[in-house]
Amino acid sequence: MVNLTINGKQVAVEKDATIYDAAKACGIKIPILCHDKKLHPFGGCRMCLVEVEQMKGRLIPACTTPVTEGMIVQTTTDEIVKARKLVLELLLLKHPIDCPVCDAAGDCDLQNLTYEYKVNMNRFVDEKFNHEIDYENPLIERDMNRCIHCGKCARICDEIVSYGAYTFINRGIEAKMGTEFDGPLNCEFCGSCVSVCPVGALNSRPFKFKARWWALQKTKSVCSYCGTGCQLTLGSKDGKVLTTIYDENQGFHNGQLCTRGRFGYQFVNSDKRLTTPLVRKNGKLQEATWEEALAEVTSRLSAGKSDPASVAALATPRLTNEELFLLEKVFRGTIGTDNIDHSAGFAHEALTKGAVASFGVAASPSEIADIQKSNLLLVVKSDAYETHPVIGFEINLGVKRKGVAIRIVSDKKGKLTRLPGAKTTVHTPGSEVALFNALCKSVIDQGLVAEGVAGLDALKAAVADATAEKAGVTAEEIAAIAKDYATAEKALIILPIGLGYPGHNAALASAAGNLAILTGKIGKEGSGLLIMGEKNNSQGAVDMGIYPKGTGLAASAIIDGCANGNVKTLFVAGENPVVSYPNRKKVEKALENVEFMVVADLFLTETAALADVVLPACSFAEKNGTYTSLGRRVQNVRKAIPAVGLAKSDFEILSAISQALGGARYNNQGEVFTEIAATVPAYKGLSQAGLKDEGAVYPVSVAAKLVPVQAKAVAPAAGKLAMVTGSALYHCGTMSRFGEGPMYVCPDAYAELNVADASALKIAEGDQVTVTSATGAVQVAAKVGKRVPQGVVFSPYHFGEGSVNTITDGAEVTYVTVAKK
Amino acid sequence: MIMPLIKGLQITISHMFKKPVTLQYPTERPDVKPGFRGLHALNVSHDKAKCVACYLCPTVCPAKCITVEAGEDANHDKYAAKYEIDMLRCIFCGYCVEACPVDAIRMTEQFELANYSRADFTYTKERLLEKK
Repeated sequence: MVNLTINGKQVAVEKDATIYDAAKACGIKIPILCHDKKLHPFGGCRMCLVEVEQMKGRLIPACTTPVTEGMIVQTTTDEIVKARKLVLELLLLKHPIDCPVCDAAGDCDLQNLTYEYKVNMNRFVDEKFNHEIDYENPLIERDMNRCIHCGKCARICDEIVSYGAYTFINRGIEAKMGTEFDGPLNCEFCGSCVSVCPVGALNSRPFKFKARWWALQKTKSVCSYCGTGCQLTLGSKDGKVLTTIYDENQGFHNGQLCTRGRFGYQFVNSDKRLTTPLVRKNGKLQEATWEEALAEVTSRLSAGKSDPASVAALATPRLTNEELFLLEKVFRGTIGTDNIDHSAGFAHEALTKGAVASFGVAASPSEIADIQKSNLLLVVKSDAYETHPVIGFEINLGVKRKGVAIRIVSDKKGKLTRLPGAKTTVHTPGSEVALFNALCKSVIDQGLVAEGVAGLDALKAAVADATAEKAGVTAEEIAAIAKDYATAEKALIILPIGLGYPGHNAALASAAGNLAILTGKIGKEGSGLLIMGEKNNSQGAVDMGIYPKGTGLAASAIIDGCANGNVKTLFVAGENPVVSYPNRKKVEKALENVEFMVVADLFLTETAALADVVLPACSFAEKNGTYTSLGRRVQNVRKAIPAVGLAKSDFEILSAISQALGGARYNNQGEVFTEIAATVPAYKGLSQAGLKDEGAVYPVSVAAKLVPVQAKAVAPAAGKLAMVTGSALYHCGTMSRFGEGPMYVCPDAYAELNVADASALKIAEGDQVTVTSATGAVQVAAKVGKRVPQGVVFSPYHFGEGSVNTITDGAEVTYVTVAKK
Repeated sequence: MIMPLIKGLQITISHMFKKPVTLQYPTERPDVKPGFRGLHALNVSHDKAKCVACYLCPTVCPAKCITVEAGEDANHDKYAAKYEIDMLRCIFCGYCVEACPVDAIRMTEQFELANYSRADFTYTKERLLEKK
């Protein structure tokens, strides 16, 4: 610790702190424009000038000067104020001062400082900038006339997002923030640059002119897309969510968001939202009252009580813990059926079966904070960035700032593979388990097994024939990864799971778990296995028991049951099996066949269109509750706006059903959480009020055990391409289709091909192609690049039109032929 | 006893020869003084309302009677797609005029604001623009 005096106050800070950090620590505010706590010091704006007694005679920037022992600092003398005023005058000389029409007004650092320092005249005269304004981009509007050259946008894009869309171009007074060749912005559209811009040079276009900053009601909540559990602040006005507001102090991610989180909120107030219940009459869905719709649902469900096996429920892991708990209670408790599932049954297996077998808990043994504390990350699939972009930022920071080594085993390349020092091993599609078994074998062969690992002989026998060739990689590559992984002091395996990744199942979780256990990388900080659930409350859905526990049917069996008539009543809460479950034709047929289907959803989805009763549900912005993110963090979701139309939250719907069926009664969702805290062991001692803003990570006690798993042999089909599915960076599940932001950037389904395959098939970028498998055929646009290896096709699953599940059937790899339409 | 009566009558009679202080409204019109705060008007420049929809007037309005909705015109400029004043709530304080950074709103001398229906007290942008 270093001791220094700031404005007469004694303060002790870490030796790598700057004067700015030290002042902040003792509550003294130093004005800044170019500094951001997440970024490396820059020292460009000269607003933070301070006086240090030991360096008298000149003013030094607080944000770049490290503290030294005994420093005596003054932050506001007359001379300093004069200097800061001069800086502001010079900035305002070129700034257009169009505050009345600038959306940043009210939240503008330059405006606030100008007011604070009473800069109401300018000694200098000059012309304003006359740069062209980029109005074309649908998400980020760039008005470089307002730019103050703080460079934050370029730095955040480089340091955290690792994209590098911006840079300074030209020199001196002509310098401006530009893109490559000063062309249009073509990036990931995470909007990080917009969030850190201290003025209105970078603006969110969807929010343009929608409201003034001070008129927005700010509600702290949690993003409802992926399982990362990013906190965000919703800005709402007149019952509409208008924007997300950046708060650098929110969450582990310090307010960083991805495209979906920042620009995908429009689904909340979409025109397509269901506003009234619909009941099928004469074969057509017609508007009905809540009483009518609920009466029909409850009469069917109470009839089902006498034959519980004929009732089934599919829930989306987007619901809150309270709603999922109530759903489980209504179906498993009151009705008495075990036919409950979510995420197609396979997308949660890694937790409910894999983690349970290997670690004795249905959760990741590691948490998000372990990423930056680790020495080596072993990432399964480069897609970890696409499925969980903000975890991707954490990985970027770990690799670039903390020097964490990164190894990627994937069936294609991606953004993570381009990180400094990243070593990527591209294996054949569908051979993840074989690869991990080969790694285990290599660890054993190299004698790198940790001491005292039980069950080693069984694993040895199981992986005896696990050769590198089975995963389509060389023995040297395997040996190198195994050695790097085993010899790293702390190593973390990152495994994304989800509907797009049927291969990421229980076997893969156990295979990855084996490697961690074998090398003693479990149960300590910065090590272990991070299983990343796809949806915002995937972990919560598992914790609340939304999967068959006894003899009940899993999701695929429920679909089969609907087809063969064993399941007569199906309750679907937010799931969209028609688009997201494998084999669309089969699912559609089954759902058309089922006697009675209720769908509670925000939109009239492809599934809801087949229902007998459709109930309008509430989005995350219209309800209170909790979500549990992939790091086992339980966080509060808060209501920002009143319900849209006549929509009711799933909690209200389920509690009405529960009462009508003679089940439990709850007055509000808070009571359910109290019951969760009392009955779900992991949530013991938690309360919604106690979660506060930051949430709480619930502890797990890991009982690690080696679970030998056999790799399924994937038989390559001659002359066909191996198609793998997954997530697109801009989408999550099928809900992001209703957010305008993601749809501007990635509106249609596509199939990504290697350049060599494309040229052999005479396919060019953007061509419409027909992809045919044994299950069916689908038409999508072609995307050509070097990301996927030769012989592999990648297609994201989110889209209703040209949905990839038309041609998949739940297998890890689907063999397809691709032809130009 | 008689003296006060005569004095009183004297005053009364003297008033018969003075100019009356009351105004014979509506046949006689008042002389509105400068600075009078009557009905609002939106100023026009180059055939367009000067208003840039900065929302400062609804922000400052103590009676919350101004509703503004901004829009983006063909040149990507901000303009008031909706500008409404609820005259029933307005307290004629003039803060809106004071707050306006672009001199887009003024208060006219018009004070006769009576009307027959509540809806007629909502002054839309078109009505406010009418009198230039």
